[in-house]
Amino acid sequence: MQYALGLSGDAAIMFAITVALGVAGILALAMALAWPKRWRLRYRMEIGFVVLLLGLVIYADVNSSRTYQAYEANLPEPAALSGTKGFDAKRAGFDRAVRVYAFQWGFIFFDESGKASRNAVKVAPGEKVLFNIMSNDVIHGFNIPAAQLTTELEPGGVSSIWIRAPDTPGKYLIQCLNYCGLGHAQMKAWLVVEGAARQEG
Amino acid sequence: MAGTTTARLEETRGPDWKPEDLLGRLTLGELLFSNDYRVIALKTILTSLVMLALGGLFALTFRTELAAPGIQFLGARPYLGLLTLHGMIMVFGFLIPIVIAICYYMLPGSLKTGALHWAGAAQASYWLLVAAALLLIIARPDFTWTVYTPMSLRVGGSLVWMGYVAVLLVAVSEFLAGLVLLRNVFAWKGRWSGMPLMGWGMFSEALLLLLSTPLLGAVGLFLLTDWLGATALFDPVRGGSTTAFLWMFWFYGHPAVYLPLVPAIAILYTLLPRFLGRPLWSYVSGVVAFLLLLVLSFVVFHHHFQPVVSKHSWVQRAFQILTLLIFIPSTLHVFNWIASLWQDRIPASARAALPFKFMMGAIFFLILGGVTGYLNAQISVDSSFIHNTYWIPAHFHAMFLGFVGQMAVAGIYYLYPYFTGRLYDERLGNAHFWLWQLGIFAKVMLMYALGYAYFPRWVVDYLPLAEWTTAQWWLTVAAYAIGLGFILFIANLALSARRGAKAPDDPWPVSDVEADFGKAAAPAAK
Repeated sequence: MQYALGLSGDAAIMFAITVALGVAGILALAMALAWPKRWRLRYRMEIGFVVLLLGLVIYADVNSSRTYQAYEANLPEPAALSGTKGFDAKRAGFDRAVRVYAFQWGFIFFDESGKASRNAVKVAPGEKVLFNIMSNDVIHGFNIPAAQLTTELEPGGVSSIWIRAPDTPGKYLIQCLNYCGLGHAQMKAWLVVEGAARQEG
Repeated sequence: MAGTTTARLEETRGPDWKPEDLLGRLTLGELLFSNDYRVIALKTILTSLVMLALGGLFALTFRTELAAPGIQFLGARPYLGLLTLHGMIMVFGFLIPIVIAICYYMLPGSLKTGALHWAGAAQASYWLLVAAALLLIIARPDFTWTVYTPMSLRVGGSLVWMGYVAVLLVAVSEFLAGLVLLRNVFAWKGRWSGMPLMGWGMFSEALLLLLSTPLLGAVGLFLLTDWLGATALFDPVRGGSTTAFLWMFWFYGHPAVYLPLVPAIAILYTLLPRFLGRPLWSYVSGVVAFLLLLVLSFVVFHHHFQPVVSKHSWVQRAFQILTLLIFIPSTLHVFNWIASLWQDRIPASARAALPFKFMMGAIFFLILGGVTGYLNAQISVDSSFIHNTYWIPAHFHAMFLGFVGQMAVAGIYYLYPYFTGRLYDERLGNAHFWLWQLGIFAKVMLMYALGYAYFPRWVVDYLPLAEWTTAQWWLTVAAYAIGLGFILFIANLALSARRGAKAPDDPWPVSDVEADFGKAAAPAAK
């Protein structure tokens, strides 16, 4: 969970289960077609298979819920975010809080002092950053691949996500993932990681 | 369960139809307006193939644009217009009607009713769909098939209203098709416990259509009235709600993804025992899987927009569990087919038959696409690399083209002698088969890889990242392979209708089943 959600740890196990199920299914089909030995399956085998699938369903639900609940536990209550003016990021456990307006077709980022920057936001390496994101026109998406995180924005609402900024300085893509009109492909911004790394403690 | 036993024996019997040159003896008037179920099926299949050609041509055009980053020859407006037409025409004009049409043909034979009841409603359903397709092509809206508001109210130019009307017409057309199917299922005279799986499939399909399409109709109607300014239900600037839109649209939208899937499954259940010359492994398992799929398909739609909330409540968790559960009935179908294949030797006649090959390819892609449903359902993973990246088109192209499209092709090759009185060309058919398997496999796997690399959907241009550009180029090559396979398919259908060998009375004899049964009779599963 270095970068919030993402394909590591439990999610990687889920990925492996999915691949294993797919390979097992395809192998079973290939063997049924090519292997000379015939095999009469029984209902109890199917019941056993369903029990296995139910176990995988429970495992996936518990795992996914535990992952996103642990992630969401770091998010402030929505009421605390209204407008985010006066919101104390440090007290809420973040190094930085950024207000984001998504529009057709770009992003504007406001830092805590109200300074705006279009399609780029600067953070320090390793910082824990809270994004409070709003759309004032249509449904947009907000995705940071380096943070392995996506949210969808309804007009008029506030969506909040937090990330741990990458440790390596550089420019990281931010993109809209929801079709929002003709300029959707151009709706990109950059997470600019620069400066001194965040000091622990 | 005497009825069940009867159904199991019926599964293996050959069809009641005889090969005939139906296509050759029909006048244009008869083809367009006859209420004979065979003609309605033929007409709808031919129209759906035209839609497939159009949808495929649109796809090849924008795929060529996407072969390299930057704008090559299409601007954003034509690109998104083609993308919208591709999605809508493929789903509403090809996938759903073609498998329903094949079932229109098979249902009266399977249920021993001899005719399609309420054929007039089937005609109306067909013509409304044609009207909807024409309106869409004239309007060329750029709001994609999901018509998300308020975006869809602010795009598309002065003709965009035709797009909303088309959505409404599609809903009415599909509702009528649901009525026709339900009426014909109720025409079954035997016990329901003995009704062929084609009947159970059509029962599920009818309820899916009848219960979901009113919401699509309402979406089309309210889009129109919102656009005209008479209402403001979906526009938040004027007091409307995008949440209401999302819930209404996806209440149709998720069952809708099963609308092509369920008839394709029913066709597979109908054809498999006929090629194998023995009953399916389990009738009961098939019925249970159909009913579970029907019930669960109405209660999973929220996963289409689950990252829209910052803090997930019990509502999202309930949808997560239900979405995970729908994995099970789909798996039961696959389990049943593989168990049917495994329980005894596969006749050489089946192995040589092109429809059987396409059926096996279809099962392969159902596994390849369906298995990722397990990941897609999980909010934590969906909020990472899945939601609205190319992972999603990979999933549904495997399901739609890999499974439904290939089952439609299997059904067409199977019915070909009954429509033309002739046999198709084997060599052309095999070339089509391999081009499609390789092309679709490459397409699906490359889309999965691009999704995993966070390539966004619906973009005409993209950054020249190494992990994106190479995959996009090969994806375009794969699309052309599929296109070439389609050309061979159509050429085969057209040329063989005149030059193909005359079909024998039973075009699908089972070659060595007696010898196989002699070695190991297959009792019902216990």
